[in-house]
Amino acid sequence: MKSWSVAFSVVLMATPLWADAPVAKIQSMLAQPKVLCGHFDQSKQLTGLKKPMVSNGRFCVVADRGVLWRTLQPFPNTVRLTRDEIVQLQGDRVAMRLDAKQEPAVRMINSVLFALLAGDLGQIGKWFFVDGGFHDNGWRVTLKAREPALAKAISSVALDGDAYVKSITISETSGDLTRIVFSKIHTGDAAMSADEAALF
Amino acid sequence: MSQRIIFAWVWALVVCLLVVHNVYLWFGKGIAPDTDILALLPVEERDPVLQQAFARMVDSAQQRLIVLVGADDWAQASRAANAYADVLAPHPALLQASDSMTDPRDWLVTFQPHRLALLTPKAEADLHSQPKQYWTDIALARLYSPFVGLQPGAWRDDPFGLFGRWIQARAQETPVRPREGRLFVSDGRRQYAVMPFMLRVPAFSIAAQQAVMPLLEQARQAARKAVPQVEIVTAGVILYAAAAGEQARLEVSTIGFGSILGIIVLMWITFHSLKPIALIMLSIGVGCLGALSVCWLLFERVHLLTLVFGASLIGGAQDYGTYFLCHRIAPDAQPFDSWQLLRRLLPALVLTLVTTVIGYLGLALTPFPGLRQMAVFSALGLIFAWLTVVFWFPILVRAGTLRSTRVAQWWAISLERWPSLGLDRSSLWAIGLFVAFAIFGFSRLGVLDDIRLLQNPRKNLIDDQTKLSRLLDTPTPAQFYIVRGNTAEVVLQREEMLKQRLGPLIETHIISGYHALSNWVPSAQAQAARRNLIDRTLLNDNGPLKALAAQIGENGEWVAATRAHLLASALPITPDDFLKTPAGEPWRHLWLGEVHGGWASIVALRGLTPTGLAKLQHADIGLDGVQWVDKVGEISLLLGRYRKTMGWVVLFSYLVVYVLLYPRYRSLTWRVLAPTALASIATLALLGMAGQNLQLFHVLALMLLLGVGVDYGIFLHEHLCRRDPVAWLAVGLSALSTLLSFGFLSLSKTPALQAFGLTMLIGTVAVWLIVPCFRNYQLAELEGA
Repeated sequence: MKSWSVAFSVVLMATPLWADAPVAKIQSMLAQPKVLCGHFDQSKQLTGLKKPMVSNGRFCVVADRGVLWRTLQPFPNTVRLTRDEIVQLQGDRVAMRLDAKQEPAVRMINSVLFALLAGDLGQIGKWFFVDGGFHDNGWRVTLKAREPALAKAISSVALDGDAYVKSITISETSGDLTRIVFSKIHTGDAAMSADEAALF
Repeated sequence: MSQRIIFAWVWALVVCLLVVHNVYLWFGKGIAPDTDILALLPVEERDPVLQQAFARMVDSAQQRLIVLVGADDWAQASRAANAYADVLAPHPALLQASDSMTDPRDWLVTFQPHRLALLTPKAEADLHSQPKQYWTDIALARLYSPFVGLQPGAWRDDPFGLFGRWIQARAQETPVRPREGRLFVSDGRRQYAVMPFMLRVPAFSIAAQQAVMPLLEQARQAARKAVPQVEIVTAGVILYAAAAGEQARLEVSTIGFGSILGIIVLMWITFHSLKPIALIMLSIGVGCLGALSVCWLLFERVHLLTLVFGASLIGGAQDYGTYFLCHRIAPDAQPFDSWQLLRRLLPALVLTLVTTVIGYLGLALTPFPGLRQMAVFSALGLIFAWLTVVFWFPILVRAGTLRSTRVAQWWAISLERWPSLGLDRSSLWAIGLFVAFAIFGFSRLGVLDDIRLLQNPRKNLIDDQTKLSRLLDTPTPAQFYIVRGNTAEVVLQREEMLKQRLGPLIETHIISGYHALSNWVPSAQAQAARRNLIDRTLLNDNGPLKALAAQIGENGEWVAATRAHLLASALPITPDDFLKTPAGEPWRHLWLGEVHGGWASIVALRGLTPTGLAKLQHADIGLDGVQWVDKVGEISLLLGRYRKTMGWVVLFSYLVVYVLLYPRYRSLTWRVLAPTALASIATLALLGMAGQNLQLFHVLALMLLLGVGVDYGIFLHEHLCRRDPVAWLAVGLSALSTLLSFGFLSLSKTPALQAFGLTMLIGTVAVWLIVPCFRNYQLAELEGA
C-alpha cells in the first residue's frame, strides 16, 4: 500500500545519531526554561505579492504543554498546538481543528515546532541536519531537513540565538520567505498572562 | 485360460500403470496438493467483470504480508521492528520489504497542474454556502501564518486553502505515516511500526510456507528479545494458507492411519488371518491410487481437503471386499468355487456400487469446485476398489482359504435375536416413539449457511487480522461496489453519484470512508463544474479575491494576474494520466478499465461493520451501473440455496434408487430403502436435539448416507432366501469401518467436513441398527421356495 507514503509534508524522519561539538556548546548556552513567553515580529515575503506581509503578536512555549501563537496585528488570530491537536481560533471561533486521531502527523508537527521555538537542538537534530557556528555573544545554526519530502518543501531554516532563540528564517522552495524575530522574552510562571493561561 | 484370467491380467496392467503414474506424480513431478481455500469457492462465470473485480481485490492482497510491531513508545517499537526486519533481510528471495515510501512531493507535482479541479465534498459545499468574509479570513490567516509547510506549495498557488484541504483528505485515506524511515501508526495507546512485505514465492505453495513460517517465528523471537513487551501483529494470506495446510495434512494422516488401523483390527478379530487384511488393503490401495491418478488427469490439481475427505473413502472402499470375504466363510458357500460365488454376489455388488456412486454424484451437482473434486475422487476410489474385488478376489481367495472364527459366528447369529418390525403392539409403540422423537428433533433444528463453514481459521489469526484492519483502516476485499459505464467518464460520474449516497453513511459512522479513483480523478464534468464554481465564487470581480487585494494593498492588476495564475492550474486530468504516475500506483486495483466492451471500476469501503452491511446493500438502489458486491453474503446465499436444492435432490435420489432396485427386489424394495430413510430422519432429529444448525454439508452427507445405507439393505435382503447370517457379518464390518472413517472425519477442524463426518457417523449407526428390523422372513421364504 504505497499510499502510506502519501504523507503530510511536515512529517519528518531521522535517526537520532546527531551529536556535534558546536551543538553541544550551543545547547549549554541555551536556558531552556519551563515557560517562555515573548513578543514576535513576523515578515513574510511571498511570491506574487509586492509588499511583505508584516504581523506581530505574542507567543508562549510551555514545556510539556505546547505552543501558543497569538497574532495581534494586523488582525487577531490564535494558534494553539498541544500534544493531541492543532487549533486555530479567530476571535472565539474555532476556525480549524486538526486532531491527532484524524491526522497522525499532528504530534510530530507539534514536537518539531516546539523544538524549533525552544531551541531544543537535541530534538531538532532528529529531523534536521544541523550546521552551526558562533558570532559575538551568540550562535547561528542552519538546518536542512533530513526527510526528502520536507527538504523539497523547505530549502533551509536558520536559527539565531543566545540563551534563547532570537530569530527564525524559513526559506521555502516555492520562493516564499518567512522571518520571525523574537523580543521581550520573559521566563518563569509569571511570563504568561492570565488570558494566555486561559487559552491553553 | 478363461476370459476371467485375461480380465485379471488386464486389471494387473491397469494397476501397474496407476502405480507408475503415481510414482511419477509424487516423486517425478513432485506435485503438492492445493491449499488455496478459494479454490473451493464457486467461480463467478455469469459475470466476467465481477469475477475480474474480485480477482483484483484478492490478488492485491494475496502476496502481501503485513507486520505491525508495537510498543508503548516509538523508540522501543522502532528497535523491535529493526530486530524483526534484520532476520528477514537476508532472504529477499522469499520476503521483500515493500518499501513504499514514494516521495509525497512527487505526489504534489502530479496534482499541482490540476488544483482547481480537486475539491473535497465539504469544500465544495462551503463554496456554495459560505459568505465572502469566510474566504478572505482564510486567505489572510494563511497569509500571516508562521507555520509554513502545513500547506503544500506557495501561498499564491492556493490562497484559499482548497487544494490543501484536498491533499489532507487524500492523506487521511490511510492513518499510516512515515516516521524516521519507517511507516508508523498509532491507536493512541501504543505506537506501531508498520512493515509491509511482498511475498516472492506463491502464498499457497507448501514449500514456500515451510520456508517462510519458521523465518517469521525467528523474526518474532528476535523482536521479543530486543523488546520483551513488544506486541506483534501479523496478517497475510500465507498465514491462513499455512495454518489450513498444516491442519489438513494432520487430518489426512489421522483419518488415514486411524481408519486403516481400525480396519486391520476389525479384520483380525473377524478372520484371525492376515490374508483378508492384505486383500482388503489391496482393494483400498488400488482405489486410492486410481482416484488420485484419474483425478489429477481430470482436474490437473488435487486439493488438500479432497485428500482429507478422500481419507474417509477407506471406510467405503472396503465394503465390497468385506462382502465377498464374508461370503467366502459362509458354510453353505463352500461348495461353490470363487467364480461361482462372485456370480451369485455380483448383482448385489453392482447395485451397492451404483447406489453409492449416485450418493457422490449429489456432491458433484453443486457449483463448488472443491466439492465436485471430492465427489469425483471418492466415486473413482470406490470404482477402482470395486473392480479390484471383482477381477482379483476370486483368483486370490479359493474355497476354504478362509475359516470362520468364533467371533464371526457369534456376530452372524446375533441377527436372529434382533427385533423385527411387524404388525404387533410393540412395533406400533416403537413407530409412535420414533415419530414423536423425529417431530421433537426437527422442531429444534435451525439452519446455518455461513461462509465460515468452509474455513475456520485459528482464533489468533482472526484476532490479528481484525486488529490490523482496525489500526490500518483497510478496506474489506470481499465487499465493495462495482461501477460500470460505456466510457471512463460515465464510470467516474456514476462513482461521484454513489459517493454522494455514501456521504451520510460516513457521518453516521456506518463506514469510515471509501477508496475510489474519482477521489483522485474527478469526472471531466465535475472538473469543469468545480473550475467554474471557484471562478464564479472566489475569483469574480466582486468576490473574495478582490476584497483580499484591498486588504493587502494590491491592485486590480494583481487580481487579474492571480486569477489567471489560478485558472491556469485547472488542466483536465484523466484516469490514465493519474495511473501512470507513482502516486497512482496504489490505486490501480480500483480501476478495471475497459472490460468486455464497457468500463468498470471498484469503490472499496473502509471501516465496515457487519451491522452496516444492510444499509450499504441498498445505497446503490436507483443508481445506474452501480452494483453492490458482497462475496461473503453471496457465498452464504449460495450455501443456503444449495442446502435447499440438495434437500430435494436427496428426496429425488430415493426415488431413483427405488426404481433401480425395483426389478430385483419387487415388493421388498421398500424394505431395502426404509432403514436408510429412517436413519436419515433420526440423524436430523438428533442433530436438532444436539442444538446443531442444519447446513449444506449435513444434507450432502445424507445423500452419501443413502448410497452407503442402501448397501446394508441390499446385503441383508440378497440372502434372506438362505437365511444367511454372513450378510449380517458383512453389514457389521462395513458399518464399523465406515464409522471409523467418518468418525475420524467428524474430528476435522473444518466445520464443513466435521458436519459431514458427524452426519455419516450418526446415520451409519442408525442404518446398522434399523436395517435388521426390516427383514422379512416370510416373504423371503416364499421367494426362495
